[in-house]
Amino acid sequence: MASTMANKGFSPFKKKEKDPTLSEVKLTRREKRERFKKRLECLTPEEQKYLKRKQFTDAVWPVFRALIVFGLCFIILYPLIFMVSTALRTRADMNDPTIMWIPKHITFSNITDVVKAINFWDILGNTLVLNIGCSVIQVLTCAITGYGFARYEFKGKKILFFVVIMMILVPPQIILIPQYMFFRYFNPLGIWKLITGSTISLIDTPLTMYLPALTANGLRAGLFIFLFRQSFKGLPKELEDAAALDGCTPLETFVKVMIPNAGSTFLTVFLFSIVWYWNDYYVSTSFFVNNKTIALELKNLDTNLKVLLFGDANAQVNVRELIVWMESACLISILPILVLYVCLQKHFTEGIARSGLTGM
Amino acid sequence: MMKLRNLSYEKKKGLYGYGFIALWFIGALMFFIVPLFQSFYYSFHVVTPETGYLDIKPLIERVDGVEKTNIFLNYKNAFMTDPNYRQYLVEVLGDMALNLPVIVIFSLFVAIIINQKFRGRTFARAVFFLPVIIATGPVYAIITGDLDTGGNSEAAQFSTMFEADMVDQLLEFIGIYGFGTKFTELLTTLTSDILNLVWKCGIQILIFLSALQGIPASAKEAAAIEGATSWEFFWKITLPYISPMILVNIVYTVVDAFTDPTNQVMERLLSVQSEWKYGYSAAMAWSYFGIILVALGIIFAIMNRLVWYDD
Repeated sequence: MASTMANKGFSPFKKKEKDPTLSEVKLTRREKRERFKKRLECLTPEEQKYLKRKQFTDAVWPVFRALIVFGLCFIILYPLIFMVSTALRTRADMNDPTIMWIPKHITFSNITDVVKAINFWDILGNTLVLNIGCSVIQVLTCAITGYGFARYEFKGKKILFFVVIMMILVPPQIILIPQYMFFRYFNPLGIWKLITGSTISLIDTPLTMYLPALTANGLRAGLFIFLFRQSFKGLPKELEDAAALDGCTPLETFVKVMIPNAGSTFLTVFLFSIVWYWNDYYVSTSFFVNNKTIALELKNLDTNLKVLLFGDANAQVNVRELIVWMESACLISILPILVLYVCLQKHFTEGIARSGLTGM
Repeated sequence: MMKLRNLSYEKKKGLYGYGFIALWFIGALMFFIVPLFQSFYYSFHVVTPETGYLDIKPLIERVDGVEKTNIFLNYKNAFMTDPNYRQYLVEVLGDMALNLPVIVIFSLFVAIIINQKFRGRTFARAVFFLPVIIATGPVYAIITGDLDTGGNSEAAQFSTMFEADMVDQLLEFIGIYGFGTKFTELLTTLTSDILNLVWKCGIQILIFLSALQGIPASAKEAAAIEGATSWEFFWKITLPYISPMILVNIVYTVVDAFTDPTNQVMERLLSVQSEWKYGYSAAMAWSYFGIILVALGIIFAIMNRLVWYDD
């Protein structure tokens, strides 16, 4: 039973097979209209009015809908089209008023410049390791916590869950300085000092990211715990009772029965987690100085580019010309996550119904 | 071990519950609860970093040459002496009040559209959730900044000027003076800001979409049999069913906007932090957070009456 439900969560949409008897009988438009008229005649005026109205809206609405969807898609894609278009043109093309979208001189030199300038491959590797490591750990720990809150009754549960809600609400800026001090003079519960005699600074080490993730307190962990709790609450209790009767311990039940059934939630949370770690520069600026991530590089891109390309932070470069490098940097930095999204988007967008967002 | 065995099933389950959340609790203690109280404590003191420790002194206010300790001095300074803090607060709150209904209504509208069946729906969904991936990061700031200075900015300027003038002219023609500038400001922020709007709505659309998919098929059928028009269907079926999610979305939008590191209050906070005035910045952050909580409380009190729960 468990495996079939897991499969259901991941199965891509299947196209409905057409009913052969219906598709064989093809009516021309005129025949259809006549049938409709005949049907109308044997109805009350109210029903006729309703059907006519419905027919009208059914005909008109799709046109409007197509227009709206197309327009909004254009607005969303506009910056991305702009990005690709600018990233691939030469500096001089920026000042050519005849060029709107398609550059005259297509070049990849901006991209190679930026890759060299910000040492892209090293940073990418660093970011990927940190990102995937933190996300995997965080998803697992948040799932465990969410499961505890969803299924077990214990004293103080309400207060503890209130802490989870507070984790969602409290802006990270409030607790940043105490957190910084915690990592700068790392001495958890006084144990470290007892053993080694002095505190240790964890600033600039990846541990500042891994430790919170390991204890389900990473970026937006409150939200993830909440999502997992909702999703586990939505699963039938009989699953665990059956597992318990078969002699599973609670941990085994969790690993073997609950995790496979919450597959789509895991995927959604994992994707969110990856995205938020990828985009985070607020927390990482405070804890990292030399440990570079892509978001950090992008945040300081303006000055960095001037230093690295022209050798002077105050170099006078036309803003319009600097854009080609800025957009190239943006392009290469979102490309990995864009690829991930395109690969997973089907599960992501079709699987949210089961992700536990409902019934909050 | 014997003791554990003698416990009742319920109590054992409770112990396992503690086991499941133990890891999180240790982390929350270290990374959330203690820092929270520490920063609250800081907000009533002068805190400056020294090598090896934080120097925490009581706040001393000088009134008429007499020195007095006043633990609320940081808060007083933030609201009374700081040249920008109050103004920024008002601006952020005003922006919020303007944007909140627009974001919620717009994302509901989009969610309803992409919940319908049409050709290319998968593509449309993929595009609409794209902002979720990009909009939180620094890329978004660069994109919007570049669009302003890059592309065909002159054309955009021309169109807004034209628009503003026309509305002004019309209002003056009718006989309303002075009202025009404010109204056009509102109008132009709504229309020219559509890029920002669409890009901010990703998560909200996602939440609404999952709520829409949770409407039971039986309700839809019943409405169709009774001959409900889609207008009636929206007001009598859709809205009640998703009303809990409207509340969730409002809370999410408020929290997201308030904690956005690019809003003015947050930027002011950061600049104070970089001047090493930790106590002062903590006081600012806490009063800001207090205001968020009050705003959320008011929204909750109003919305809770309007929300309809299924069972």
